[in-house]
Amino acid sequence: MKLVIGGAYQGKLKYAKETFRIADGWTDGAICVPEEVLECRGVWNFHLLIRRMLEEQKDVEELVRKLPKENPELCIVTNELGCGVVPVDAFDRLWREKTGRICTELAEKAEEVHRVFCGIGMVIKK
Amino acid sequence: MHLITGGSGSGKSAYAEAQILALNGECRVYLATMYPYDEESRQRIARHRKMRAEKNFTTVECYRDLEKTEIPEHADVLLECMSNLTANEMFWPEGAGSDTEEQILRGVEWLRRKARNLVIVSNEIFSDGCEYDSGTKEYQRTLGKINCRLAELADRVTEVVYGIPLEVKG
Repeated sequence: MKLVIGGAYQGKLKYAKETFRIADGWTDGAICVPEEVLECRGVWNFHLLIRRMLEEQKDVEELVRKLPKENPELCIVTNELGCGVVPVDAFDRLWREKTGRICTELAEKAEEVHRVFCGIGMVIKK
Repeated sequence: MHLITGGSGSGKSAYAEAQILALNGECRVYLATMYPYDEESRQRIARHRKMRAEKNFTTVECYRDLEKTEIPEHADVLLECMSNLTANEMFWPEGAGSDTEEQILRGVEWLRRKARNLVIVSNEIFSDGCEYDSGTKEYQRTLGKINCRLAELADRVTEVVYGIPLEVKG
């Protein structure tokens, strides 16, 4: 697995497509059926998939646990959350906390982690 | 002194605890700054206590006034987290108020002299691009200044990103 993280609107998806040479087979975490991530080549807006699953009270951890085994070549692109003021809304707090824990777990499992800033990627794990 | 920072849920606590354990000292002190206001904070505290169980930390509660905290001599001290301590000093009626930055820095100087090793956990609360009310902005400004001054004093500064330590200094 490859994990590409960074702030919003930093060119993460473009970077991921070019760096890992994945032109197609991408799915959008903002709208996809969760199980699609077990089969696609890349998923972007992964943080929004986590949010939707939490809203619908689906087991996001269970899905994430399957990823390394069932889709080991997957490239995951996600916003890096958690670097702002603690949100007033309890659901927002839950979402960013879960996203942090899940991405920490994914970073541990991934063979590569890249952090994109202004379109430029820093390899933080390889 | 080692300053460790990162976003919420980034794994900075686990990393900080591992740093203290690697020092192989005989006395480990955890300075806890989160006051149990409500169920959510109690759960956070319980989660952290569970993480520390069997790592032989003595927990000392320190919600404010770092300089008056009693700690044993020659301990390896983990202070977590600067963002809570700053909020307590700024917003509690009996806190340091507008003197927060100076009071915390005096406390840290005192801790550095007293401890064998000092690890401080702080927090990234600066990068969501939102505009907040003046009280919250003042809090961000104060913690930002404290982080800068701690980084200046520190031998090492590390940003933890989803469990991955990035060396910023040292």
